Amino acid sequence: MDPVLFIAGLILSSIVATIIAIFYSLVLPGIERKLQARVQQRIGPPVLTPGWWAVLKFWYKGKAEPIAQMPLFYKSLIWLGIAVVLLLFLFSTPYWWVVLGWGSVLGIAGFLKLEEVLYVLMGSQSQSILTTPMPMNDLVKGAKVKGVLREFVEQHSAERALKMMAVGSLPLYIALLVPFVAARSGMISDVIRAQNPVYFNSSWLSLPLPSNPVILTVPGFLAAVVYFVGYLMLLNEKPFSILKAKVDVIEGGVLEYASKLRAGYYLMRNLLLFALSSIFVTLFIGIPFDPFMPLCFILNMILSLLLPIAMAILVAFSPILTFRQIYPATVGLSALGVLALILSVSL
Amino acid sequence: MGLKATARKNAIHAMLIYAVGCNGCDIEVLNALLSPRYDLEQYRVLLTWNPREADVLIVTGCVPWQMAEPLKKLYEMVPEPKAVVAVGSCAINGNVFKNMVGEIGINEEIAGPVENIIPVDVKVPGCAPRPEDIIAGAVKGVPKLMEAP
Amino acid sequence: MTERSKDVVVEKELSFGPVHPALIEPFRIRLFVNDEIVEDCELTINIPHRGVERLLEGLPVERALLITERVCGICSNVHAWNSVRVVESGLNIKVPDRANYIRVLINEVQRIASHLIFFGHAFEVLGHETFSMRSFLLREVFMDLMAYIGGNRVMPSVPVIGGIRPRADLTESLKRVILERVDDFEKKYLEFVERVVADPLVMSRLTGVGLMSKDEAIKYHATGPTGRASGWDYDVRRMMYEYKPFDFNVVVLPEGDNKARVVQRALEVIESLKIIRQVVKNLPEGPIVNRDWVPGKMDFTTMYFETFRGELMHSYSLDSQGLIRGYKIRTPTPTNLAAMEKVCIGDHVTDAVLTIASCDPCMTCCNRVEVIDSGKTRIMSEIEIVRKYGWRR
Repeated sequence: MDPVLFIAGLILSSIVATIIAIFYSLVLPGIERKLQARVQQRIGPPVLTPGWWAVLKFWYKGKAEPIAQMPLFYKSLIWLGIAVVLLLFLFSTPYWWVVLGWGSVLGIAGFLKLEEVLYVLMGSQSQSILTTPMPMNDLVKGAKVKGVLREFVEQHSAERALKMMAVGSLPLYIALLVPFVAARSGMISDVIRAQNPVYFNSSWLSLPLPSNPVILTVPGFLAAVVYFVGYLMLLNEKPFSILKAKVDVIEGGVLEYASKLRAGYYLMRNLLLFALSSIFVTLFIGIPFDPFMPLCFILNMILSLLLPIAMAILVAFSPILTFRQIYPATVGLSALGVLALILSVSL
Repeated sequence: MGLKATARKNAIHAMLIYAVGCNGCDIEVLNALLSPRYDLEQYRVLLTWNPREADVLIVTGCVPWQMAEPLKKLYEMVPEPKAVVAVGSCAINGNVFKNMVGEIGINEEIAGPVENIIPVDVKVPGCAPRPEDIIAGAVKGVPKLMEAP
Repeated sequence: MTERSKDVVVEKELSFGPVHPALIEPFRIRLFVNDEIVEDCELTINIPHRGVERLLEGLPVERALLITERVCGICSNVHAWNSVRVVESGLNIKVPDRANYIRVLINEVQRIASHLIFFGHAFEVLGHETFSMRSFLLREVFMDLMAYIGGNRVMPSVPVIGGIRPRADLTESLKRVILERVDDFEKKYLEFVERVVADPLVMSRLTGVGLMSKDEAIKYHATGPTGRASGWDYDVRRMMYEYKPFDFNVVVLPEGDNKARVVQRALEVIESLKIIRQVVKNLPEGPIVNRDWVPGKMDFTTMYFETFRGELMHSYSLDSQGLIRGYKIRTPTPTNLAAMEKVCIGDHVTDAVLTIASCDPCMTCCNRVEVIDSGKTRIMSEIEIVRKYGWRR
């Protein structure tokens, strides 16, 4: 392909994909919340309220400087996060598959890992008023223990984030490998070629449907289940939300983000939700998010509702698990993932 | 009505600060926020526990001196524009704890009604107010948010 | 609770409160942790000090009801009832039977409402929003009943000295409404409890966490459901003449973990329903208030009472003009919390907060004590006194 044409296509497709992703991802939390509310026998907020209107409202809020050890660094983390998630999403769209060879399992895993590291950095920075600095006479003469390090709960959340990085995200990465092993290649383009061969020579208005999606095979289905649980762990959602458990660490490292930064955080979280769902559809069902094929990306968007809906229902029915339960759960899931991996060799 | 006012009208984050009354108003506010029978979320009011995220502070209780400083600090943390809803007689005038003193004349344990410490925009009277009144009060704070620059 | 050596090295401290989602009521928790494991715990509970006992000094005994009812908003009826029981016992005021029955009724209605708040709070701390909301939804039945009987959802103000307020008398139609609501509630409630007990995720969080033995419960005087969930068979209701006509069981569970503390309360609600049905069925006719008394000199009189959280004590005397002297209230929460402070040691941080919440702490009635310690006046909370001087029954 002509390099000039390629770069023009790359830029144009990125712009289209970014705009669609941002608009669409901010609808997802509303759908999630509405579903939970219906499970809880109440009406719940309007669909646009928790996503779109909340972000706009935070954007219009007055200036509020976060209290952090290094405020500038802390503030920049949120924009870094948005950039990482956007790149993660863009590398799963067709024009980016060939760029630097990162349109592969390596690129996806790398960006996801970077995203997880951000929570550690945020947690180590934030110093919310709700915890240690609260003006309260608790260090008095009769106190039980004195002179130990008074840690902020956000720092405790950062330690938990580190543990979740080490163990929690393992199932997701194992599950991520299965479609690649099934296609005998590390590149996303080969995964699509194995599952959806018609995609590469169809016109822009057509809807290429996958002929043999990996999710319909036994190892693919197992991997999809493991991917779903790993997805919950990566998004820190309810059963695995130990690093932002409301009862002790409140919200974790994102506590101090206010006004525009809070809007940025909402955007980052929802973009990650959408990116992971979209990548699931791309890898396991074989329908990529191609900005130049309207029917194709609309189908991808519709199918990527699957995981958030399943998540919303699971979240409504589950408490927060502690590490007592998370470690065995991770081991079991990883074993299931490895089983799927071994089985997928036969595909 | 511009985009700004619409956005502010459509997503309101409320935070509950319980500044020590008798627990009654506190539970009634939680009832209004959490109970599916009242469900404040359908009126676009979402519950938060982080002052950085909040727009509306719902304060209950008569504020003993030990709570005065945290209350002030938390109020400062909320980014502009913000509204404060004082719920219950204790938050409005101190109720029996401030007014029905036996022989001691003045109760020094109580630092306020809430007005002495932070500016109050909406008052919801009652001991304890019904959840319907609390919902009405929380929503009354919205015009102030919408009109703010 | 695991036994640990005294001089364990603590890595760091986590402190939160008084404004915090898990502890809606203001108290400060300092957890001393190694990694995730809690090695020690300190609760600062003197924040809600409003000087209630000092306010009551010198008030006419009839007016005292206004303040005693507002000691706590969850157990408002309990404090009001016990404060009138003191003067009724001290001045030998005869309370009509019908009044006693209605007092028992409103107390059991409020007991169920209080236990359902506990479920709401405990499941909120567990992170289970749906169960928490379901508890609050179920609770509305009893808030309505309280509003029908007393006129206010939170402060029904039913007892007055010598009987009950005429407003709170039960009419025939109200009796019918109560029975209908209670039947409807029982059906939904049993479904809810069966659903909770069958939930594997919730039960894996609750089972075996925060173990308290019977000896510890007695040592720290963890009364009420907290003690009964550890196998300590102690209920003041058995000794109260008001409860003599009613047939009910005292639920005692031997396990002593968080699950037991939840299940014990769940079973107690069913016993309370039994009492409510008996009250409505056997309600005697007659007067509801005995106005035939004059306030006068009364010696110190102490009355014990079973609240929803444990044992409650009210004690005061009257001078010759009928003014209150030396009011003393002891609520169950300080001793329960002192026990929880010990019990949560050795658990994960998230579990420790749940354990502390599992004794159903009610901060507002907690501390009113002043101890003169080595010449300096310093306000000590009761929990500190229990910790320092031990409990003496």
